[in-house]
Amino acid sequence: MTSNNTVSIRIDNHPFTVEKGLTILKAAEQNNIYIPTLCAHKELTPYGGCRMCLVEVEGARRFLTACTTPVEDGMVIRTHTDQIQKERREIMELILSEHTSSCLICEESELCRQYMPTIRKAGVTTGCRYCPNDDKCELEKVVSWLEIKDINHPVYYRGLSVEKYDPFYDRDYNLCIYCGRCVRVCQEVRLANVLAFTQRGRSTVIGPAFGRSHLESGCEFCGACVSVCPTGALAEKSNKWNGVAEAEIQTTCALCGVGCQLQVLIRNDKAVATIPVDDEFVNHGQLCVKGRFCVNELVNHHQRITKASKYQDGNRLQIPIEDAIAIAAEQLKNCPPEDFAMVISPNCSNEDLFIAQKFVRTVMNSHHIDSSARLFYGNGFNDYLDLMKRTTALSEIGQSDVILCLGLDMRFGRSVVGVQIRKAIARGAKIITIHPNDHSLALNAELWIRPHTTEILDSISQLSNALLEKHEPITSRLAQAADLLNAAKNPLILMGGEFLPYSNSAEIMQQTLRIAETIGSAIVPLPAQNNLHGSLLMGAYPELLPGGIFSDEPDNRKKISDIWGMTIQDFTTDWNLNKIFTGKKLKVVYLVGELPPIDEPIGDFVIYQNIYPPEHGAPPNLILPAAAFTEIDGTFINGAGRVQRVQRTAPPPGDAQPDWQLLCQIARKMGATGFDYKNHQQIQQEIARFIERFKKFDRKPVVLPKHIKLQLEPERSSQLSETDGQSFFVLTIFNSEHQYRGIPIADKAEGFKKLIAEDSLLINGSDARKIGVVDGDQVLVSSDLFEKSFPVRLSDNLQSGSVQIIQQRFQPFNPNPHPVKIRRKDV
Amino acid sequence: MANQNILLNFDRNGANHTLENYLKRKGYSTLSEKIPNMKPEQVLDEVKKSGIRGRGGAGFPAGIKWSFLPKDSDKPVYLICNGDEGEPGTFKDRVILEENPHMLIEGMILAAYAINAKHCYIYIRGEYGFALQRVQQAVDEAYRAGYLGKKLTGANYSCDITVHKGAGAYVVGDETGLMNSIEGKKGQTRNKPPFPAVEGLYQCPTIINNVETLASVPWIIDHGGAAYHSIGTEKSSGTKLLSISGHVRKPGVYEVDLGYPFMDFLNKDCGGVIGNRKLKAVIPGGSSTPVLRPEDCEKITIDYESIAEAGSSLGSGAILIIAEGSCMVKTLEVLTHFYHHESCGQCTPCREGTGWLHKIVKRIEAGQGKMEDLDLLTSITKHIAFHTICPLGDAACGPVDSFVKKFKDEFIEHIKTGGCPFGGKFVRFQERV
Repeated sequence: MTSNNTVSIRIDNHPFTVEKGLTILKAAEQNNIYIPTLCAHKELTPYGGCRMCLVEVEGARRFLTACTTPVEDGMVIRTHTDQIQKERREIMELILSEHTSSCLICEESELCRQYMPTIRKAGVTTGCRYCPNDDKCELEKVVSWLEIKDINHPVYYRGLSVEKYDPFYDRDYNLCIYCGRCVRVCQEVRLANVLAFTQRGRSTVIGPAFGRSHLESGCEFCGACVSVCPTGALAEKSNKWNGVAEAEIQTTCALCGVGCQLQVLIRNDKAVATIPVDDEFVNHGQLCVKGRFCVNELVNHHQRITKASKYQDGNRLQIPIEDAIAIAAEQLKNCPPEDFAMVISPNCSNEDLFIAQKFVRTVMNSHHIDSSARLFYGNGFNDYLDLMKRTTALSEIGQSDVILCLGLDMRFGRSVVGVQIRKAIARGAKIITIHPNDHSLALNAELWIRPHTTEILDSISQLSNALLEKHEPITSRLAQAADLLNAAKNPLILMGGEFLPYSNSAEIMQQTLRIAETIGSAIVPLPAQNNLHGSLLMGAYPELLPGGIFSDEPDNRKKISDIWGMTIQDFTTDWNLNKIFTGKKLKVVYLVGELPPIDEPIGDFVIYQNIYPPEHGAPPNLILPAAAFTEIDGTFINGAGRVQRVQRTAPPPGDAQPDWQLLCQIARKMGATGFDYKNHQQIQQEIARFIERFKKFDRKPVVLPKHIKLQLEPERSSQLSETDGQSFFVLTIFNSEHQYRGIPIADKAEGFKKLIAEDSLLINGSDARKIGVVDGDQVLVSSDLFEKSFPVRLSDNLQSGSVQIIQQRFQPFNPNPHPVKIRRKDV
Repeated sequence: MANQNILLNFDRNGANHTLENYLKRKGYSTLSEKIPNMKPEQVLDEVKKSGIRGRGGAGFPAGIKWSFLPKDSDKPVYLICNGDEGEPGTFKDRVILEENPHMLIEGMILAAYAINAKHCYIYIRGEYGFALQRVQQAVDEAYRAGYLGKKLTGANYSCDITVHKGAGAYVVGDETGLMNSIEGKKGQTRNKPPFPAVEGLYQCPTIINNVETLASVPWIIDHGGAAYHSIGTEKSSGTKLLSISGHVRKPGVYEVDLGYPFMDFLNKDCGGVIGNRKLKAVIPGGSSTPVLRPEDCEKITIDYESIAEAGSSLGSGAILIIAEGSCMVKTLEVLTHFYHHESCGQCTPCREGTGWLHKIVKRIEAGQGKMEDLDLLTSITKHIAFHTICPLGDAACGPVDSFVKKFKDEFIEHIKTGGCPFGGKFVRFQERV
């Protein structure tokens, strides 16, 4: 039966009715007929290179490739005739003559399956492991399906050296079969166009053009090429010899606010690798470098805290976890509410955050709980929250025709959003980007407005005024941007992290909001913290109770008290995290997933609960081992408000436990009631009593309550300091966005350090020449308010006259940006 | 029977490439006199009637190719002139490009009119520096004189021509590879379908023809398709440019009527084999066509059918004459090296197979061959030919199969004696005066 949209075909003597326009390969796959392929991949356009999928089509003069030939009505296809199998074998032999094949064709292979001997004369019975893709190799599968036992051609080894200099993955093109999948995925799926074929024939080289390194050519290190490689030519450094995964569990990435869905590969109870999930809401089968390559290194690092320990006379002593909990309980019991504070990371799960604030409010009778997000966002926090209230799903990018990007660089972090933006551009959408530095969008944007770091606010407010048709003289680029936005049918604003540390970030956000209101667009803020939304809704701030209601209103406190069945202390404090720098020293400070913000001791007794020991400052008194996000069950809320599930993929190392379990144990030890949770679902049920939305899990977005507002420090000065007429640079200091529980990812994931220069002074090459410094020199950066030395890293992304530092630890810098003098340290 | 000069209608010693000279030869008169009274369909009809077959090598009738364009498409149509003359031994288009570029331009304008193309490309291989220069000069002259551009002199339509320089790949001589090259992509051929007439350059309907085919169009329109069809044989009409080289006394480019006896051409027009040697072999249509032994050549006439009957192909009309005393194994080694070097690397059989063909022939020539190698050669060609996207794989196999089949004794002699009986070198026969 053939309708307008279907055709009737016969494959191997079986009649099928399939959709019109399908290729023979897809039609066969739909009907469970196997046709071997090497270069075909479900997400890529057909290439027709490997010739494995040749099939016989009645009436055709020659064999046709199933992957490229569309089905036609009445087609009679044979996929497994003797002649075709012979052709396939012969073609495969040609491939194997130049692909080292000792792992594929081995006289011991039958025995190997049973006894795992090696062909080396050694007393081991582990089988050989010549290739990182052993047992995962697609070539291997096709070879065994074709029953090739021997090849006629002598093996010719290409003898290329393995390329190891780029971070994250090694490239051994001796194993390459030129299927072109990596090139196509880079061009068609990622739209990054980094990889290409250069040269031709046997001397074909795969890689960036003109012999550049991946780093130089704009590679985002997304690992899409590694994922699609059918052989061991591209292999992930950190997972090269781990073998086949035993299990795969889906979870949510916690390394930024996008909230990508990950498939975590497990072997020997360890998360050995992460690959993307084809998720319809967030990442659509893509990941950024952090999600793809950094997660396993971050959670499996040898420095992980596995045991509790205490400091005694300057020595760190390992102690049983029960003892540590008893010590903590003892200290906390004796601590008056006003002398206690808890700092909790917005990287923690909702369940952890909820239990933490319940612990503070019901056990400690305090409201002293805060999150480092307060420091990260500074006095622009409330305005940033206003943007978050206007948020929309990331998939809106697909429907927008004009996208305004503010301070957004997506090369390494958030590159999944970059892919969606490039797809939008390919569809015809126009991008306007405002960014002082050269960045990932600069190349593809319709308009790149590049104000100096000191003129960001001016540019944005001029744009905002132009949209409100206040006639002011503005640059032609801004006028063009205003025209584009005015004409847009479906505009969208994306807010990056670039402008957050600026002293005038509050005004920048206000102007952004004004633009959004004028043109009627939604805003997608892309927070660096994976659960910022959750930290607000769970009430992990002194001002906020669960549900995001204010804690200084007696009605609210009563409501919460009734649910918990105990009284919540009156809100009598104006403490918040900023007081750590200026206020009085506390008695007990409990850090959950946070590093001590200053070098001096922040309390008489510091409890530090995290996945890595702190590297700076006074050592804490007690260290508790916590579980990383791959080791816990719970939920995160991403930047767009989507509630997403995290799942335990591997057990935490040693005595480490999820934060809420440690907190509950301490609470119980202190004799508190209401902390007898058996699992995370019970906590979710309790959260549901405050927030309806948690009654039943689904991934629909939750919106921040409109009223949410925090009490911030008085306005910071946004004036530039007076200059003394000498040559100066304008320094902007950023807080690193690439952290998990206060731990810089660059410290734990080997390759990431090569990508992001943290704690160095970034300076334009011509400026560096002017002051006579080269890459790696130590320089002294000084102003009236600031003096510190840094190593120099050259970066031609910066404008002449501006320099920047990305600091791994938060240190106040005000006003930001401000002029500094730079000189070589030894001069 | 005297051969007509349709394409080489000029004195080979003059400055024929200029517009002035071309106008003296009644150039652009077809465009200015005939076209105002003709509809595009009529032009197409005349070309169909002429029966002219594609001169690039495949021999597909040009008029029929043009009529494959979709009628209901709203996309622009492109016309491309394939001047990527890369087949070893072929240099006939070069004469047109260098000496008679205006005839090509006029032909393209007429073809563009017939298929409603507004933009045309002339793609010339990068190695043809002089031809590029001449064609560009001619295009500039034509623009200045108003034959190209917005509104053409004497006709009511517009046509633009862009001259595109190739970057040096044999495989780009294939239609779709050439389109990729114009688009700035790597010179690799595309999978078909879609065919170029439906989805070609920049995903638009595209017609691509050889230089010689397009240069013949002005004569066809001027004299009528029937007149062109009356030249040559029934199935192979018109004249053909032949580029003859190798061990021949007067190598060069000749224009003959199709159906002309081959031996007459060799002995009368070209002065016979050099040094009065005996003919050993003929490659009749460019290096990828199967080789012929002298006895095969006795009766053939120069047209598509006759040569096909003898087991080879007229191809691009590049005739290579090989005289007695030269080594066929060495010749094959050179040819296999060429195909191995030019394989683009997309299809496995061609990328790997041509390498093996070359390696095996090379070792036979070096005297290290084995008797099994001959079977191995034919078995490899069996797996390459017709199993690749573009015809490069097939082209590489044509000579290998035919050399091994027709000169088997010589291969066996190499293997048995463990060396080359001819000294392992190319022989350059000098004419003794």
